[in-house]
Amino acid sequence: MSSLQPNVDSTNSEAMQRSNPKKRRKIGHSNSLSLVPWRSETQQRIYSSKLAEALRHVIHRNPPSPPAKSSAGREVRETADRVLASTAKGRTRWSRAILASPLNRWKLRRMHKKVHKASTGLPKKSPETRRRLPVVQKKARVLGRLVPGCRKLTFPNLLEEATDYISALEMQVRAMTALTELLTGGGSLASA
Amino acid sequence: MSSGSRSSRQRSHSSRISDDQIIQLVSKLRQLVPEIRNRRSDKVSASKVLQETCNYIKNLHREVDDLSERLGQLLSTIDADSAEAAIIRSLLSN
Repeated sequence: MSSLQPNVDSTNSEAMQRSNPKKRRKIGHSNSLSLVPWRSETQQRIYSSKLAEALRHVIHRNPPSPPAKSSAGREVRETADRVLASTAKGRTRWSRAILASPLNRWKLRRMHKKVHKASTGLPKKSPETRRRLPVVQKKARVLGRLVPGCRKLTFPNLLEEATDYISALEMQVRAMTALTELLTGGGSLASA
Repeated sequence: MSSGSRSSRQRSHSSRISDDQIIQLVSKLRQLVPEIRNRRSDKVSASKVLQETCNYIKNLHREVDDLSERLGQLLSTIDADSAEAAIIRSLLSN
């Protein structure tokens, strides 16, 4: 019953996308970016099943005795992010960025946290940036660093990416929580 | 600050980004972030929305990190087959 709905949604949205091949992602089109219904339960189920399958590969790659427990968390995180990005169907910039560079992300993150550029004065003052208050500009920059692959986006595109990214992250948290509870319950049953 | 040659050309055509669009997007963000959603939405400034959004994303990142740590430990201690069985069972029963 409910499994039919997302198929209809995706085909409709794909048709709409194909009907405007030349129009790029303008801000007026509200249906241009976030086409994945992150809140729907079906979507969460899709993500959970994909994640479960991906994690199965992780388990089998590190058979009975895993190398180190500290790296397992990172592997799971990377797997979860990659599955999340693939569930996004590559229509958003952050999902493409995650899929493009899985290895570099974490190392770059740690390097960037230490490097604090003191470039407060903007070298170029284009008309758009002058309109924004510098405080908002700074916050927007921080936001751009948090959302993967969105460091050099224009302000409205950045906000769009951020809204989609937040919904996706929320779904990721819900799915992983459910999976954890499931495994915890299953583990205790198996050991008993 | 340019996100590619095409977009800069587009920017010159569409001149300024209108304030209404910005307000629309900020209000969308506002609805997503639970911190702001529970307060009175009319009195929240844009910078506050951005700040809360950043904090919220950081929180979500931290949650995902914790969850993946736990999942990693669980996966290493649990037998692989019973884990798969439990997952498949839950997906079938829903």
